[in-house]
Amino acid sequence: MAKEGRVDDETRYKELGFMCGLEIHQRLATAKKLFCDCPAAIPENPEMLGTVSRFQRAVAGELGNIDRSAEFEELRGRKFVYMVPERNTCLVELDEEPPHKLNEEALDVALALAGSMNMHIIDELQPMRKEVVDGSDPSAFQRTVLVAVDGEIEVEGHRIKMPSIFLEEESSGIVSSKEDEITYNPDRLGIPLVEIDTDPYIPTPKAAKAIALYIGTLLRVSGKVQRGIGSIRQDVNVSIKGGARVEIKGLQEVDKLDRFVENEVLRQQRLLEIKELLKKSNASVDNAIDVTGMFRGSSVRIIANHLEKKGVAHALRLKGFKGLLGKEVNPDRRLGSEISDYAKMAKVNGLIHSDENLAAYGFSGKELEELNSRLGLEEGDAFIIIAGQKSNVESAVKLAIDRAKYALVGIPLETRGTANTELCTTKFLRPLPGGSRMYPETDARPILITKEKLKAAGTSALDVENEKKKLLAKLQNKGLAEQLLTSPKLPLYKAITASTKADPNFVANMLIQKFTELRRGGFAVDSIEERRLADLFSEYADGIITKQAVDELLKEMSLKKESVEDLIAIKRLKRISGDGLSALILDTQREAGKKMTADELRNVIMSKYRLNVDGAELNAMLSK
Amino acid sequence: MYSSKLANLFKEKRVAIGDTIRVEKADFAIEGELMPNTEAGSDSSIIVKMKSGYNAGILFDDKVRLEKVSGRKTKSEFPFAKPKADSKLPKVVIIWTGGTIGSKVAYGEGGVESTVKPEELFYYVPELPEIANISMNHLFSVWSQDLTYTEWQKLADAVAKEINAGARGVVITHGTDTMHYTAAALSFMLKNLNAPVVLTGSQRSSDRGSSDAFLNLIAATRIAAGSDIAEVGICMHASSSDDKMAFIRGTKARKMHTSRRDAFRAINDKPIAYVTLDGKIAYVGDYRKIGKSSAKVRAETKFEPLVALLKTHPNSDPEVMQYYLEKGYRGFIIEGTGLGHTPIDVAHEGRSWLPHIKSAIGESAVVGMTSQTIYGRVHPNVYAPLRVLNNAGVVFCEDMTPETAYVKLGWLLGNYDNERAKELLNKNIAGEINDRITYDEFLL
Repeated sequence: MAKEGRVDDETRYKELGFMCGLEIHQRLATAKKLFCDCPAAIPENPEMLGTVSRFQRAVAGELGNIDRSAEFEELRGRKFVYMVPERNTCLVELDEEPPHKLNEEALDVALALAGSMNMHIIDELQPMRKEVVDGSDPSAFQRTVLVAVDGEIEVEGHRIKMPSIFLEEESSGIVSSKEDEITYNPDRLGIPLVEIDTDPYIPTPKAAKAIALYIGTLLRVSGKVQRGIGSIRQDVNVSIKGGARVEIKGLQEVDKLDRFVENEVLRQQRLLEIKELLKKSNASVDNAIDVTGMFRGSSVRIIANHLEKKGVAHALRLKGFKGLLGKEVNPDRRLGSEISDYAKMAKVNGLIHSDENLAAYGFSGKELEELNSRLGLEEGDAFIIIAGQKSNVESAVKLAIDRAKYALVGIPLETRGTANTELCTTKFLRPLPGGSRMYPETDARPILITKEKLKAAGTSALDVENEKKKLLAKLQNKGLAEQLLTSPKLPLYKAITASTKADPNFVANMLIQKFTELRRGGFAVDSIEERRLADLFSEYADGIITKQAVDELLKEMSLKKESVEDLIAIKRLKRISGDGLSALILDTQREAGKKMTADELRNVIMSKYRLNVDGAELNAMLSK
Repeated sequence: MYSSKLANLFKEKRVAIGDTIRVEKADFAIEGELMPNTEAGSDSSIIVKMKSGYNAGILFDDKVRLEKVSGRKTKSEFPFAKPKADSKLPKVVIIWTGGTIGSKVAYGEGGVESTVKPEELFYYVPELPEIANISMNHLFSVWSQDLTYTEWQKLADAVAKEINAGARGVVITHGTDTMHYTAAALSFMLKNLNAPVVLTGSQRSSDRGSSDAFLNLIAATRIAAGSDIAEVGICMHASSSDDKMAFIRGTKARKMHTSRRDAFRAINDKPIAYVTLDGKIAYVGDYRKIGKSSAKVRAETKFEPLVALLKTHPNSDPEVMQYYLEKGYRGFIIEGTGLGHTPIDVAHEGRSWLPHIKSAIGESAVVGMTSQTIYGRVHPNVYAPLRVLNNAGVVFCEDMTPETAYVKLGWLLGNYDNERAKELLNKNIAGEINDRITYDEFLL
């Protein structure tokens, strides 16, 4: 991985031919969805009316081309099951009714954002359908509208062009995924999203992160964005000279964005090195042969298990690949993992390759010898084995061969998703879609942007500097204010300080520093509902609990669903103060049976009642 | 269509649809392919398809500059497949008549094209040639709301011809809005029918990955190729899910929803059969089976278009009947309320339908009564006002849907004199009257 301190080395990235652009998707907090009248807010426990199941096929766009990513998804032939939540889904989401009029409230937010990035608004917006056949939309497309083009922002001295802002529909969330069936909940389907794109000339991974933070702030300043997990997502496009454009999709933690980008650069570098080595070794990829017979009753369990269930095993030679399948391209990811990602798309569990520890799999010497002779392996050759159900194995082998062959060509155009959030690595999701998947949404009328509409949007233009001033005026710690400004917690901070009497400094400190600390400690603090957080700070502001108890309760709340009031009772966290505290001091004294110094009293009380007693109050009482 | 001002500008700049152009406004420019302007937006918007695939509309004014960058890149051509004929499989003819199943958003040579060629649909439904030995008959491409009895006649003739020439079954792709009228018309027109005749269509156009066209077409072909049903019917989704398709008798089907996939329902009847994803046909209702008879199918296509379908409602003006009578109409189907009521209370001047009904019957027109409740049977006796209508000579059309009764009366008057047509109107001819409506045949 690139070393710290070199991350912002513009020259180094320039030499690499580094290209990087961002696409930021943010859910809007409008009253209704984008193209229907369902509420845009997601209820906590929706009642389900039933399920609907569908299949989708890849179809041609208006110019007659079938998109490669759509075709790829169709090959997977999966069944999509949609839950039907009563409150948040009508016939529009279920693809059983044409769209309603575009949501004007969402359009206003997009226009204001466009204004704040100095963009040019399109005169007549043309609703489009973007084909998506992974099932996340029952209609097999996402409705999307280009709102404005050609803007510019300045972040940390970098002037970045903002080519476009779109208004589009959110997709459904996956509830569960089986081999050939995915269940979706369409409650969030159709919530308005804005997509804001940068041009591909972001100079360094660090700048990418800074720009993402800035745009995130801009969105939150609009006041019309949803908060909580998944409400903002960053897609990053990365390539280097000789490499290829790869889109990393759905990054939720902007803090790690630079590391993901660095790793993608590294991956492309390594794959290009591998390509050169393969050329040198005159590498090629053979067709697969059936080796089912060889492995019947074998001690290689992961193959034998499939054969016992009437499965098959296919193997193929990769001429000149020896040592390269096991070559690391990213932390804990090898060329073998890249090929395996493709095979897995055909419903197999993965593959075994010869750069792995074969003895650990249980291969016997005899099996390896027979495999060598059947595949005609020579020095420098590698092999792959894939086992599973026959039709799956046949497709998996085809996908693996194509990917292995591409290692000789370069880097495939891909959409990738997170493989490991800690290591900041990615895995293949599907081929990168092309422009063929766009066609007009003829069920919705074009929207003429009138002068009046523009004027209304202009007056509500967003101002990040102004927001910063407001924060600095309220918070004593300047660093904290700046951190809060770019944090996704900003709207939460604003909501809590508006609805409770809690000290803004304390709230900011908790949401930024304490949350980070607890998150690192493995507590899912980000999933605590806003309503309960407001209750927590309100209990604190009313003197019902101590500061220390707030820490403790945050941990409890991340694990349990009980109300704050109940948790305070269960964990006995009610604050002891005033007369209660005086009584406690007297009781402690009496129990000790001797005269105690103030220090002794403090130590005894705090060791027992650390979470219930406020240290400052105790000190004041003891010093009397 | 573009405004004449823009059309002239394109001419002057030698720009055609599909060419790459650059449109400059005061402070920004957009480049992309010129797209046709549909009727949906302003005719002064220049629609450009950008490289990203997005369309944008630039409003034309005196400050807008337009330049041609390059000519049309590639001619748009949709993937298509000719079904391979396997002579061992049952012979099924697909008769193509248009509708949503045959429509797509497409920019052809300078215009918005709305027709999917049958071969294009085959590309997306490679299952079809594995079910049957398919041949195509592209009869016409008409949206179903524009169809008239003359198309029903053409269609009945075509079906008879195909079956007499050896088709095992016939599938008809059709717009859904009036599919049940066509299905009823074919049910009455085709005599000695000894093969399945299956109408199908789609509620989502076939250029969408989620279209119901694919499964509807597969299920319809399965009924045509493999069922022993010798009737005309409609085969579409049975539920919102892609799990089973229902085959509903042509005289008992009705479109009951504007947009859902499972819009077609059996009214006062059950579907004849369901087709599941695995291709199995489950028969649930009674039906006429294919027999041993070798008699040819006959298309008796005569039809009297001078029949009106009228709906009575509070405040309705009965003089409308006079209008039709003056134009020589020979038959009326009234969509009454409840058990078959129409306003006949003389207390409200000019609101009673009774004198007009009587004068129509006096001129030997046939007047049939159905109900706008859609479900259930009309009844001539339960209430006094019903008896009044019945005594006046109104034919109570049992449990027929208003649409089926309308088509039936038109067909009867085309083939018989008024007296005989009146006698036959409430006698079952083609499964349109169900003597027993069972408990489960409601909202099915």
